[in-house]
Amino acid sequence: MEKLASIIIIFGTILWLVSVLFLGGSWQWQMFAALILTIGIFTAHFWEELSEGRNKKTPKDDT
Amino acid sequence: MARERISQADEWQTWAQRYDIEGGTRTFESGLTVKVFFGALFVGLLMMPGSIYLSYVSGQSGAAAAPWVAVILFTELARRSFTTARRQELYMLLSLTGAAVGSGMQYRSFIWYAYFVNTPQAVSYEIADKIPAWVVPAGDSVGVLSRSLLHPDWLLPIGIYLATKLLGTLRFVSGQYILFRLTADLERLPYPMAPITAQGATALAETTGKQETWRWQVFSIGSMAGLLWGFIYIGVPALTGVMMSTPIQILKIPWIDFTQSIEGFAPTGVFALRTDFSQMLIGFVLPFPVVMSEFVTAMLSQFVVNPHILYRNEILHQWHPGLDVRAVGLFNGLDFYRSYDMGKNFSLGLVGMAASIPMIFKLRSSKKEAGQRGSLATPPNRGDFPLWLMGILWLIGMAGFVWLIHWMVPNFPLSFLLGFAFLYTPINSYITARTFGVLGRDLFEIPYLHEITFILSRYEEIDIWFAPLPDEDYGAGTQGWRVLELTGTTFTSNLAATLLIMPILIISGILVQHFIWQIAPIPSAQYPFVQMMWPINATHECLMKTSLRDGNSEMLQAIRGDYVAAGFTSSLAIYGLLWVFRYPSMWFYGIIGGIGADPGSMVARLLGAIIGRFYMIKRFGLKRWFMFNPVLAAGFACGVGLVGMGTVAIALVSKAVIVKPF
Repeated sequence: MEKLASIIIIFGTILWLVSVLFLGGSWQWQMFAALILTIGIFTAHFWEELSEGRNKKTPKDDT
Repeated sequence: MARERISQADEWQTWAQRYDIEGGTRTFESGLTVKVFFGALFVGLLMMPGSIYLSYVSGQSGAAAAPWVAVILFTELARRSFTTARRQELYMLLSLTGAAVGSGMQYRSFIWYAYFVNTPQAVSYEIADKIPAWVVPAGDSVGVLSRSLLHPDWLLPIGIYLATKLLGTLRFVSGQYILFRLTADLERLPYPMAPITAQGATALAETTGKQETWRWQVFSIGSMAGLLWGFIYIGVPALTGVMMSTPIQILKIPWIDFTQSIEGFAPTGVFALRTDFSQMLIGFVLPFPVVMSEFVTAMLSQFVVNPHILYRNEILHQWHPGLDVRAVGLFNGLDFYRSYDMGKNFSLGLVGMAASIPMIFKLRSSKKEAGQRGSLATPPNRGDFPLWLMGILWLIGMAGFVWLIHWMVPNFPLSFLLGFAFLYTPINSYITARTFGVLGRDLFEIPYLHEITFILSRYEEIDIWFAPLPDEDYGAGTQGWRVLELTGTTFTSNLAATLLIMPILIISGILVQHFIWQIAPIPSAQYPFVQMMWPINATHECLMKTSLRDGNSEMLQAIRGDYVAAGFTSSLAIYGLLWVFRYPSMWFYGIIGGIGADPGSMVARLLGAIIGRFYMIKRFGLKRWFMFNPVLAAGFACGVGLVGMGTVAIALVSKAVIVKPF
C-alpha cells in the first residue's frame, strides 16, 4: 500500500506539471491532478495508521 | 542509501515529548486564589495604558511581555512573606494580567474608525457617510471630534460590542476546548510555543521555594538580554519622543527596506530586514526544520521564482522600478500571490484532514491510554468538561451571534450567515489549531471570502462590510489550553477566573483607551507606527469596501482560478513528495510558510535557529537545550516587558503633564 500511495502521488505531481507546462495551466486539469494527489495522500495516511507500531524510529532534530 | 520511513504519528509524538520537558507526568491543581485575582487586576490595570500606547508607537503592544512584571512582583512578595507560590498560581497570574493588560486593545477599532471616517480616502471613495451608526458615530459628531469614547454618541457601537463580547466568550471557550481535545489529546501535536509560558511560570515558582534550580539562572540571563534589547528598541524611541518631535530610532522600526537595492537583479523580489531581533528567541524555540525550510523557500521565492519565472512570464505584471516593500507586496499580491495563497491555504486543511480522519476511524477499534496519540482519554483531575456540553454551549453562542448580525443587517441573506457560522468556522478553526500545534502561529487565511459571499448574495449595501460576520477562528486559543496542561493548572479554575475578571476589564479598558485618545490625535507624530501604517491601511480598507461597487472589483479581479488551483495542487504535490521521499512533514509547514514571504522578516528567527542548532545543542546537549530555551525566551519577554513598560510609563506621564511650546 505504501508503494501504491507513492505511485499515485508521483503520478498526480507529474500530471500537475504537465497541466502547467503543456496544457496552459487550466484550473480544471490542475484540480484533476489535485484530486489524484488527495487520493494518494489519504492512502498514505491510512497506510501509516494501519501499520502503526511497525516503524518506531525516533526522528532527529536536523532531519 | 534510502531514508528510513518515520511515520507522521511517531514524528509528532517525538516532537510533542521534546516540548513536554517534564515527560507528561504532573498533578493538576487550581491556580485561582484571592491574592492572585487581585494581584493580577492591580498590576494589569497599571500596565494597560503603557501597552496601548506602545502599540501606537511601535506596532507591538507588549501585552505578552508585561505580565512577567506582575509575576516577579508576586514572587518577591511571596519570598519576603516566607510563603511559596505555586506554578499554577503564577500561570494564572500571568494569564489574568495578560488579559487585563490587553483589555484596552479591544477598543482599538473604535479609534481606527473614528480616524477612518474622516480620512480623505473615505470621503473620496464616498463611504464616509455610509458607515453604520453601530460602528462609529458620524464624522462630524461630538464624540469623534472631541476624541471622547465616553460621549453618548458612542453608546450604540459600544453596546453592540459588549453583546458580541459576551456571546463570543461562550463560543471561544467551548470551540477552543473541543479543538484542543482533537489536536493535543487525539493527534498529540507538539505545540512548540506553549512551553515558553509554562516554563517561565515554573522557573519563577521555584524561586519562592527552598531550592533554586537551573531555571532561575537561565531565566535571569534571558531577562538581562531582554532588558538590554528593550532599552535599544523600545526605550530610546519612547524616551526621546518625549523631548523631540521626531524620536530617535537606533534601529529603524519596523524594518530596513532593501527592496529597491535588489530590484536590479531581482525585480519583483522583496527584502525588508525586520529589525525586531527578539525574534531570535522564537528561532531558538521553533523546530529547526520549520525555520530553515521556511527561510530557504522565502529566498527562492523572492530571488528566483518572482523575478525569473513569474516576472518573465508576465504573471507579476504591475511591478515597476522604485517601489518599496509595501507596494511590491501589494502588487505581487494582486497579480498572483493572493490567489496562490488561497489555494495553498486550502491544502493545509486537506492535509490536516488526511492526517486526522484515519485516526478517528481507528479510535473505535483501539484502546489507548491518556497521553498516547490516537486517544481521547483525559488525564485525571485536569478539570475537563464533557465534549457534548461544550458543543451545546458553542451552538448557543453561535446561534445568538447569528441572530444579532441578522438584526444589524436584516436584508442580508441569513443562509450565508449560517454557512459561515456552522461550516466555515469549524473548518477554519481546525486548520489553524493544527498550524499552531506545529508552527506555533497562524497560517490559514482565505482572502476575499467575504467578497465572494457578498457577490453571491447580491447584497449591495455597504453596511455588510462593517458587520462582524461569524467567520471565526478558535485555533490560536488551543495553545492556551496546552499551556494550562503543561503547568498542571485545572481547566475549571481557568474558566472561573476568566468569567470573574471579564466585567472589570470591559469597563476599565474603555476608560484607558479614552484617556490615551485624549492625549493626542491618533495617528499623529507622537505615534510613529500608526502614522506610517494607518494611511495606507485606510486606502486598503477603501479599496476593499468599494471593491464590488458597479460590479467592478480590482481586488476580486485579482482572484484567478488557475492561480488558486496552482496554489492548492502544488502544495499537495510538495506534501506528497515529501512523504514519498520520506522527509519529515515538518518541512511541509516550513515550505508552505515561506512561499511568497519576505525572507528579511525571517533573518532574526533563522539566526536564532542556527545558533540553537549548531552551538547551543552541542554545548548543552539536545535535552538540556530544549529545557533551557523556553525558560530563556520567557526571561527575555520578561526583560523586554520591564524596560518597555518603564520607559513608556515615563513617556506617557510626561505627555500628560508637559505642554510643549512648539
